[in-house]
Amino acid sequence: MEIQVKLPELSPGVMGATISLWHYTEDDTIKRDDDLVEILTDKATFNVPSPVGGRIIKRFVSEGETVHTGDLLVTIESTQKPL
Amino acid sequence: MPTLKQPPWLKKTAHSSPVVKVTADILRDAGVSTVCQSARCPNIFDCFSRRQATFLILGERCTRRCGFCAVEKGVPGAVDPAEVSRVSAAVFHLGLQHVIITSVTRDDIDDGGAGHFARMITSLRKICGASLTIEVLTPDFSGNASAVDRVLAESPHIFSHNLETVPRLYAKARCGADYERSLRVLRRAHENGRGVRTKSSIMLGLGETRAEIAALLADLRSVGCDMLAVGQYLRPSPLQIPVERYIRPEEFSEIREMGYTLGFTDVQSGPFVRSSYRAREGVRDGDTGQAS
Repeated sequence: MEIQVKLPELSPGVMGATISLWHYTEDDTIKRDDDLVEILTDKATFNVPSPVGGRIIKRFVSEGETVHTGDLLVTIESTQKPL
Repeated sequence: MPTLKQPPWLKKTAHSSPVVKVTADILRDAGVSTVCQSARCPNIFDCFSRRQATFLILGERCTRRCGFCAVEKGVPGAVDPAEVSRVSAAVFHLGLQHVIITSVTRDDIDDGGAGHFARMITSLRKICGASLTIEVLTPDFSGNASAVDRVLAESPHIFSHNLETVPRLYAKARCGADYERSLRVLRRAHENGRGVRTKSSIMLGLGETRAEIAALLADLRSVGCDMLAVGQYLRPSPLQIPVERYIRPEEFSEIREMGYTLGFTDVQSGPFVRSSYRAREGVRDGDTGQAS
């Protein structure tokens, strides 16, 4: 099934974050909890881990783009359910 | 001034653990505020994934305008007496063994909110039991000694008050506060606290020198402060004062050693250390029940 990975809420009031580094590209295979993407906020850099293992179908944002809580980051083909 | 590039050691993981959501849900359902959320703390995922939170009482709006802080500023509303029950219920549901209660500064109230702190401690003991260890991180109560005593009378295990930074930088970072007054608050807690341990935290990276840090640590020891937390200042948003420098982890280690050499019994020092971060680790085995 296709799993949508969205930007989690980093903290109330954090208006936006910048995608600083994708650790995986499309068609790559990723394991659950592996660092998927690195995002930059005013206070710190966060790695967002993958909630499932599987194959990256599509990345929806590029490095340097600003993202907000709930924005779709990536879709992953997976047999697992997010915890 | 251009924004400094974040160094590689300032990296956290945004856990999507279900426990993070459970913690957030308990806090939301209880209708309580946390400094974790209000201050946009980068440790929030670590703490929430361990069902830890630091509670912010006396409302969400602060009467001071500290340059480093993201907590909302302005004229606060009336203190809600029911807040103590809501916080106690959240602490109970989270199953905390150690709780940290902090507040906004309330210069608009005669006792600065000390009575509310005292009622908070009483309520926590009643609802959560005597095994809960309680740490209060208070404002300076405008230097009102009887307000400090009001909190001490309820025997928290740890009385914290943060110096935040060296005196030279108060005008920039902590306007409305007074370094000497804050030291007097800590001295009062040490002298009148009947066994309470005292603690203070500072942020580095605002432009302080090593000699100024050493002098501050000596000042804290001179008023009997037992515990120290040292962390990196991280600007919550472009509205706050900028970071002057990112302190390397090895420098934090050196300051930890400096603290122990000066006689602090517990020193937390690292880039992500906050007064409340992993505070449970500073609690002694004997810190159960009401402090004597």
